[in-house]
Amino acid sequence: MSSARSRLPHVLFALHSVVATFCVVGPGYRWWGASARPFVLGLPWSLVWALIWLVAVFASLLLYERFTRSVEGEAARSASGDGR
Amino acid sequence: MGEFALSTDAWIVSGVALAYLAGCLWVGMRGGSGASDSALGYVAGDRALGPLVMYFIIGATVFSAFSFLATPGLALTSGAAVFYVLGYGLVGFIPFYFLGPRAARLGRSRGYITQAEMVAGECRHAPLAGTMALVSALSFIPYLALQIKGAGLVVNRLTEGQVPEWLGSAVCYVVVLAYVLKSGVLGVGWTNVFQGVLMMALAWAFGLWLPYKLYGGVGPMFEQIAAAKPEVEGGPLFLSAPGAKTWTWFLNSGVISMIGFVCWPHLFMKAFSARDERTLRRTVVFYPTFMVFLVPIFLIGFAGVLFPSQPASPEQILPHMLMSLDLPALVVGLFCAGALAAGMSTGDAIVHASASILVRDGWITALRRPLTSTQERTAVRVLIVVLMLASYALAVLYDGDLVSLLLYAYGPIAQFLPGLLVSLLGRRRDGVALHAALVVGVVVCVSLKMFPESAPWGVHEGLCGLAANVVVLLALSFARGWRPFSASSGSNAPA
Repeated sequence: MSSARSRLPHVLFALHSVVATFCVVGPGYRWWGASARPFVLGLPWSLVWALIWLVAVFASLLLYERFTRSVEGEAARSASGDGR
Repeated sequence: MGEFALSTDAWIVSGVALAYLAGCLWVGMRGGSGASDSALGYVAGDRALGPLVMYFIIGATVFSAFSFLATPGLALTSGAAVFYVLGYGLVGFIPFYFLGPRAARLGRSRGYITQAEMVAGECRHAPLAGTMALVSALSFIPYLALQIKGAGLVVNRLTEGQVPEWLGSAVCYVVVLAYVLKSGVLGVGWTNVFQGVLMMALAWAFGLWLPYKLYGGVGPMFEQIAAAKPEVEGGPLFLSAPGAKTWTWFLNSGVISMIGFVCWPHLFMKAFSARDERTLRRTVVFYPTFMVFLVPIFLIGFAGVLFPSQPASPEQILPHMLMSLDLPALVVGLFCAGALAAGMSTGDAIVHASASILVRDGWITALRRPLTSTQERTAVRVLIVVLMLASYALAVLYDGDLVSLLLYAYGPIAQFLPGLLVSLLGRRRDGVALHAALVVGVVVCVSLKMFPESAPWGVHEGLCGLAANVVVLLALSFARGWRPFSASSGSNAPA
């Protein structure tokens, strides 16, 4: 159970990265991003779509790095506990 | 049309550019003072680069003369097709989150400081390092030539032709040569901080000011472009991706650039320079914030779409607009400094990396000619001069557009991907098979570049090469009875 829980962030991050790649480089861009309108804050949708993904990728990287650090912290704590 | 009186203003522009170059020289010469005298200090900064320098060294290295000149040029001619740059840049660096720290760990435990050295070492096949070094040089020279050509073009255009391209390029790259020779990777790193801040500030300033000056704002600019170039169903598009390009071009360019991006040796080897793994991960996390810098660059290109006059080549659109508006020479000079910063921040990293790779991987690893630390540093410095001269010659002689030069460079570099994955993630590795696959991939890539009509369905030559590369790798893996990612952890296959 706990192993499945600890794997979840890895799976979610991998999934998010694949979806992001599909949406900004792959056919996802053609399906959902390749339009001039609507204009958002004066920018065409084709640019806004890429910028939305920029924010999403940054947020997912931030969260994932936080998770990586917590895992490393736990590992270090348990290693020092074993040492004692 | 403008008030740009030739001689006086050209001197002011040149003066600002020279002041910028002097600043670079000062930062670059002082930057290396903290490093040891060893080859490790010169090539990898004693593995002590902190988060700030790493952030700028990666960001500013990626944003090159291509970003400042070719990206607005592409927006001008092809509209939304230019957004592929944002797409590949955004996701292309994510694999480094995993590959970078693994490489850094290997580097610390086994002494690697270059990418090819790591792949060849992990696969126990020294000649592989030599081939990777040659392929790197094959790709680096045109990429470096692109930066040199960009510098000359900016100086020439902004001084209204008074300073010839060859002279502008030469002056800028003599400065690069000086601080790279003196300070190595630390000189590159600290100048990249200086250049990165300068080019980001100037890109935002021009990217917001030009649409405001010419159209009344960013929104009105896109509205006017949409009215002038209506999006027609089944007809030409401009603000809808893929703009004036085809979808094949858009996908090709995005995918090959994404793969090439993570394989670039000069970026990858920074994994060996970072202070620790956390620094590397944080560099990847904050990298998307550097991508925001592309937005004003796009805006500059779109600002040129309805500009009354057009430059001789699209890549000159920004200097052309600046020269056509009534701008103080000081402002033009500042732009000149920003564009030079973009090109030089990439050029210095490339020339430093390519010389290090040729010496470390070609001479020491592949040819098995050990050098002392001092000899190695001297050899790297000699090669820096040789590579710079070769790239300068290509820059002066080359007459094509900058985008093609960049997309050419990505093809051979993308062939490193299987080797990187197998050496970092594989359990058993066969250097001979990887070597054969790499050679086939590069040959296919270069052949299709020479005969582009032979590429199936118009697929980029680098992707065709990569497909051939993987097929050969898998075929040999079955023939030789090894499994690159098998669960049984065994010793590496002997060379």
